[in-house]
Amino acid sequence: MRVPRRHSLFWKLTGALALFCLLLVSLYADFGRLIYSATSHLSDSAKSTLTGFAREAESAWNERGATGVDEFLQELRERERVWAVVVGRQDQSLSSEPLTSRELERLDFIRPLDGSLGRPNGWPTFYIPFSDGEHRLVLELPRELSPRKHLALLNLAMQRLLPALLAVLLGIVLYRALIVPLGILHRQAGTLSSGKLSARVGPLVTERRDEFGELGRAFDHMAERLEHTVDFQRQLLRDLSHELRTPLSRLRVAGEHATDVTELRQRLEREVQLMEQLIGDILELAWLDTERPQLPVEAVDVGRLWEVVRENAGFESGWPIERMPSALPADCRVGGHLNGLAHALENILRNAIRHSPLDGQVSLGGRREGDVWHLWVDDQGPGVAEDKLEAIFLPFTRLNAARPGGDGFGLGLSIARSMLQLQGGELWAENRERGLRMNIRLRMYSL
Amino acid sequence: MQAQSRAPARILAIEDDPLLAAHLHDHLRHRGFDVTLRQDGEEGLGLAREEDFDLILMDILLPGRSGLEVLASLRHERKVPVILMSALGAEQDRIAGFSQGADDYLPKPFSMGEMEVRIEAVLRRVAYERQEAPVDLPQDPQLEFFEQRTDVCLGGQWAGFTPTEYRLFDLLSRSAEEVLSKPFLYQQVLHRAFSQHDRSLDMHVSHIRRKLQAVGYSAGRVETVWGKGYVLTRQPS
Repeated sequence: MRVPRRHSLFWKLTGALALFCLLLVSLYADFGRLIYSATSHLSDSAKSTLTGFAREAESAWNERGATGVDEFLQELRERERVWAVVVGRQDQSLSSEPLTSRELERLDFIRPLDGSLGRPNGWPTFYIPFSDGEHRLVLELPRELSPRKHLALLNLAMQRLLPALLAVLLGIVLYRALIVPLGILHRQAGTLSSGKLSARVGPLVTERRDEFGELGRAFDHMAERLEHTVDFQRQLLRDLSHELRTPLSRLRVAGEHATDVTELRQRLEREVQLMEQLIGDILELAWLDTERPQLPVEAVDVGRLWEVVRENAGFESGWPIERMPSALPADCRVGGHLNGLAHALENILRNAIRHSPLDGQVSLGGRREGDVWHLWVDDQGPGVAEDKLEAIFLPFTRLNAARPGGDGFGLGLSIARSMLQLQGGELWAENRERGLRMNIRLRMYSL
Repeated sequence: MQAQSRAPARILAIEDDPLLAAHLHDHLRHRGFDVTLRQDGEEGLGLAREEDFDLILMDILLPGRSGLEVLASLRHERKVPVILMSALGAEQDRIAGFSQGADDYLPKPFSMGEMEVRIEAVLRRVAYERQEAPVDLPQDPQLEFFEQRTDVCLGGQWAGFTPTEYRLFDLLSRSAEEVLSKPFLYQQVLHRAFSQHDRSLDMHVSHIRRKLQAVGYSAGRVETVWGKGYVLTRQPS
């Protein structure tokens, strides 16, 4: 098992349990002492009852002597079921029965009425002096006069009821502490599954520093991704259906007004290719956005790659390769996924060529900055308005509405950016004095 | 092409879309192949087990049984080359297809021309593999080839080819002046299928050009034939 972190719930739970144990022990000890001291002396009513017995014994002795005492003791023993004697100063019995040696021994351990009851498991014997101070009544404490008659019950309560009560209390505290964040999570999960993708558990949970905080943050992150993905895909779907209408309506018009089969065939070929390209790009963008595939990273020689990309772009656009020069240092190796990188560079280069004047140049440059390569592709086109520098990376962004569909759908740069981000790179645009500069940052390749 | 040198190659096409199937059938027949058509995976599998075909062309999504299952069970018995067709552009499908032993993969929609190129490439590779080792004629007026070292040498200077670059250049120089298609080169040199956005082969060619230039090679040039492939053209010295 890992050692729990500082703010882990583990410590809270452990703390609560430790507190519970401490509380239990200290309460137990305190109550024990309290009960003992409360039950170690006779109550006033018990004292007056016992004094009453002594007065009765005294009057029986004064009126009828030993016979009176005999009768009194017999009655007392039967009524209270206790051992009792009446003795004089030298511990001689005042009744007709003399004391046995055991009874004499017992007389050594007798307590005054104000004395304590002594050991909890012993049974005390009290003496009450007569008013003449010479004689006294000695008797065991009658059961119902003992302050300890409920001691067993009290002990039982202390040993069983107190821990149970404390445990219930602890349970309530813990439950309250845990159920609140759980309840929030539960509610938000319900909201999310009912289709409201904006559901978040909020700072009350996410700012906690324990496991609930982690769970809350994971939940919010998940909801964030989900919402983004669904929005993104809905947007793509809307855009795709919108974009598909253009070639379809052109085909329809061509079909209605066609006179020349060859021309129609060419038109058909062109439009089909356009639609294929569109669907392929959309799928790729959706795949990149949702799957976020783990592309294998290798060393890519950017100079060589530029040659490959440039050659293809030259064939496509009719540009001679001399107009796509590279001023890259020969040792430029980046860590990337070859095909992803090639794809991104191709899209960037195509875009640059498309916006360049007829005899323009598109050049590649770059420099190493620490363990990162900063590359740039410069064109000599009109550039982009400053407030649109980010917008060109959104799918289906066409800044120039005058050229709908004619060349591309505005997906190229989105794909390029996704591809580069997937490899831990970045792509952003900036205006130069003349033309636009696409900046790329990629990690240097190192073993 | 070598594939059609003697008897026409026998192709089994398994495709459930009747329109596309008919189109495939006519087109391939027109190109001189001996085509058998089946619309059901189960039936096609039975036929593939019984008879000898040179190549099987099949859709991944077939009624009754998926193309991948058919492919997997067929692979247990025969080594006939297989080209998969599919409208699923997903990468994982492609990967699954090859792990089951497909030789190539045609994403739909494809043009008949594209399909032909792929079929030629696979058949040609099979023919190439069956060939006896060619008699060693001097391949090149300037370069010496060293199979063991997978490198070439010009006047005591090594070009410094990697094994892949050597295989690629060796193949190009054996078929000098003949355009070799990208699908064929992928099959033969990189042992995998060619796909639209794969630039590995182009990178290898780029490295070969640079290394040959560095040792001062002038008897030939590796040229790109746009949309087709590569060719080694001999330069009159």
